[in-house]
Amino acid sequence: MLLYTIRRTAQMLVVVLCVVTLVFLLLRIAAGDPARLMNAPDAPDDVIEATRERLGLDEPIYIQYLYFLRDLLGGDLGQSFQGSYSVAQVVFAALPNTAMLAAVTVLVSTVIALALGIGAALTRGSWLDRSVQVYVAFAQSIPSFWLAVVLVLVFAVQLGWLPAVDFTGPSSFVLPVATMAVALTPILIRTIRQSFIETLQQDYIRAARARGIAQRKILLVHTLKVASLPLVTLIGLQSGMILAGSYVVENIFNWPGIGKLAVDALTSRNFPMVQGAVLIAAVTFVLVNFVVDMLYTTLDPRIRLKGAS
Amino acid sequence: MLRRKTAAIGLGGIGLLIFVAVAAPWIAPYEPAAQDLSNVLAPPAWDGGDWSYPLGTDALGRDVLSRMIYGARSSVLISACAMLIGATLGLLTGLVAGFFGRFVDTLIMRLGDIQLALPFILIAIVILGMMTERSPVHLIVVLGIPAWIVYARVVRARTLAEREQDYVRAAETIGARPLRRIFRYVLPQVRSVLPAIALIDLSHLVVMESTLSFLGFGLTSPHVSWGQILADGRQNMVVAPWLPVLPGIAIMLTVLCINLAVEGMRSRVEPRRRWWSTRWRRSGATRTTLDMATAASRPAVDELQAGPTPDDVLLDVRGLCVDFPTADGRVVQAVRGVSFTVGRGKILGIVGESGSGKSVTSYALLRLLSAPGRVSAGTAMFDGIDLLGVPERSMRRVRGRRIGMIFQNPVGSLNPVLTVGYQIVEAIRTNRDVDRDAAVELAEKVFRDVGFGDPPHIMKQYPFRLSGGQNQRVMIAMTMAIEPELLLADEPTTALDVTTQAQVLDQLRRVRDEHGTSIVIISHDIGLIGEIADEVVVMYAGEVCESGPTEQVLREPRHPYTQALLESVPRPEAGVTTELRSIPGELPDPTRESGGCPFALRCSSVMDLCHTHRPKPLTVGPAWSAACHLYSEDKAEVTQR
Repeated sequence: MLLYTIRRTAQMLVVVLCVVTLVFLLLRIAAGDPARLMNAPDAPDDVIEATRERLGLDEPIYIQYLYFLRDLLGGDLGQSFQGSYSVAQVVFAALPNTAMLAAVTVLVSTVIALALGIGAALTRGSWLDRSVQVYVAFAQSIPSFWLAVVLVLVFAVQLGWLPAVDFTGPSSFVLPVATMAVALTPILIRTIRQSFIETLQQDYIRAARARGIAQRKILLVHTLKVASLPLVTLIGLQSGMILAGSYVVENIFNWPGIGKLAVDALTSRNFPMVQGAVLIAAVTFVLVNFVVDMLYTTLDPRIRLKGAS
Repeated sequence: MLRRKTAAIGLGGIGLLIFVAVAAPWIAPYEPAAQDLSNVLAPPAWDGGDWSYPLGTDALGRDVLSRMIYGARSSVLISACAMLIGATLGLLTGLVAGFFGRFVDTLIMRLGDIQLALPFILIAIVILGMMTERSPVHLIVVLGIPAWIVYARVVRARTLAEREQDYVRAAETIGARPLRRIFRYVLPQVRSVLPAIALIDLSHLVVMESTLSFLGFGLTSPHVSWGQILADGRQNMVVAPWLPVLPGIAIMLTVLCINLAVEGMRSRVEPRRRWWSTRWRRSGATRTTLDMATAASRPAVDELQAGPTPDDVLLDVRGLCVDFPTADGRVVQAVRGVSFTVGRGKILGIVGESGSGKSVTSYALLRLLSAPGRVSAGTAMFDGIDLLGVPERSMRRVRGRRIGMIFQNPVGSLNPVLTVGYQIVEAIRTNRDVDRDAAVELAEKVFRDVGFGDPPHIMKQYPFRLSGGQNQRVMIAMTMAIEPELLLADEPTTALDVTTQAQVLDQLRRVRDEHGTSIVIISHDIGLIGEIADEVVVMYAGEVCESGPTEQVLREPRHPYTQALLESVPRPEAGVTTELRSIPGELPDPTRESGGCPFALRCSSVMDLCHTHRPKPLTVGPAWSAACHLYSEDKAEVTQR
């Protein structure tokens, strides 16, 4: 277990370094010359040359990379092109908003998925199971951005029940969370249903019934404890989809998170801001997966105790 | 059936989409960029618009129908090409990794791991977002390449498995060239799994492409895409709600069709079932109708047994039949009219080879048959309780508390993620009215009784940390703690080594001697039954062929099957010179109802009569019966009829 933790931590650090390098390289390839981006399109060459020198862009790329790493370790993500903000400040101010949205989404989705997935697994072939299957089929086909627009159209514009944009309190969560939950629940439901069905067929469930254990307890303790384990890994794997979903949802609902920040920065070609937002999002993704992996190993005694004897 | 239909709908939808995409220039009524500024935001035809613009126009007076058609073209073109790029890359790398193995494999798979650990979607958005001009080629490359790893993993796994196959190895030894081997042997295998993966990938790509367009990082003008139409429509969504709604429906239907096609490829219909309720069909008649044609002058056991259960009998099973309907409509009759009794404080052994219906019988008694198994006839009276008839609620008070059960696979009968201590305390508290502390104390006591030196330590363990023998002792300890009147032990020693087997048998004997528990012990090992059981029931193909006091049955077996069973085990008292014999042939097909004796095909004393007439159990001694025509006095008479 200790060995695993060390190995997994090392692996995580390697991946973080890869992410950082990749973002650095790709942005430079995709964006062209940052010095030109920073100045007006018709700026004279000597102005651009001065900017280039100031930013260290006249150095060879590997030197630039080393500078970039050095600044990064010091928590410096550079300065925004527009206005003189520190990118790090702006990005870290936006991160909690995205995290909150993601956390509520995961929570709501998990509760729904457990209820529907277990319900469907216990009544295979019934109307409930079939309705759940139909929901899964449709929900995984609905593009998030469209659903968001339709939800705004119906609940905010036509009915006026819920706020469409901006954060005004708990009700602001309803539409964004609903949009993201519809994208997340189908795969969770499928997994929990399948894993519940498989677990119920295990010998130890029959043995528990033979011991006279109450049905409720067999379902909620004996089965759920085994059957919900895959859910943990799955949520980790889906965190990338959740992050990507936040790009869409935050922009439609004007949610001041990291997705909106990135899209705004891309639209205004604010290069350091894009770099900072993507970097932090990507590193968060890697960290979330790391935490989920470690969580999984502590939740499952079969893995936790492996090799400890 | 249902699945096939949905798959057809899915494939039909995909076909239609491809047709629209290919034929766009001919079927679209206008150029996608053609503007009619006199007709801005015209409503669709069903909403008061006119038929020259069936789906209305957008804010620039462009025909929405034409733009939707051209949008389909972009969507199909980009998604399909991106999928092909990803699939080709993945196929090649997967084949290379799987076939060459070693460091090539390690390198490719590590690369894949790292890529999967990256949120590639975000990076794709950023790369495209930083570009000023985006053509279909850009999108195809950026969206297509990251998917390689999904294909590569599957292809690699298949390739690895295929490499181990004999015929591939044979090709290797005769010197077939690596490339040739790949194409000849591995590709055909991989072909069967790739379509489903590719379709799933395709549906992701359709959504990705339109999402990018919606965010403003997809195709730039003059290219058209669904996401773009939606994003444009959003500006005017209050006055023209159909503008954002239409492209969304198109995307949704596309993805839905793809998913339906995938589903259809994947699975068949699952039968309707609830896990806890095995359907109970109670048949009033006990099983006396097996074969009315067989008449015998000796009294049949059924007739002798008719009537009330004597007081010294704890469990009285009569004519138990268990059916398993199969998917193709046939019925497997796993247990066919089994009758036996268990006396109070007695040990009954049920013996027979695997597939003879022994375990199914024990599951049926506790109503723990897995679906779709069901009891189709028979009664089982346990101390005045009709086990097969009482409601499930009362049954739960019987399970554990009054009838305990231990299983063949001791490690598998305990929940792997709960400690042994939790499970025994839970079992004790469910079945006995004690508080937690008393339950823990009792658990430690019985753990000591079954020979654990340090009970508190064992209580903290998970089942997979204990050996098979230790787990079985845990199961026996549970029984000792709960003190049921009857214990069903299904092959309790099969998974254990010989020394442990002896210990477990000892403990079972102690359960009987010290707690007065009656035991039904089920085993394929007639030697083991001989050691422990007072009475024995020999089962073959779901029927009882002989039953009686263990000592007599084992000394002078009457049924040819019992004789054959005894000849197939080493018996020290018979001397080393006796030859061990195996029984030729196999069990009869359980779905077929034969008129004769089930053992006829393998019996060494078979007569003509045996193939046509089913033998009834006949009394061959005190409390001893055998279902064999050899003991019927008027064979000739029966044959003539």
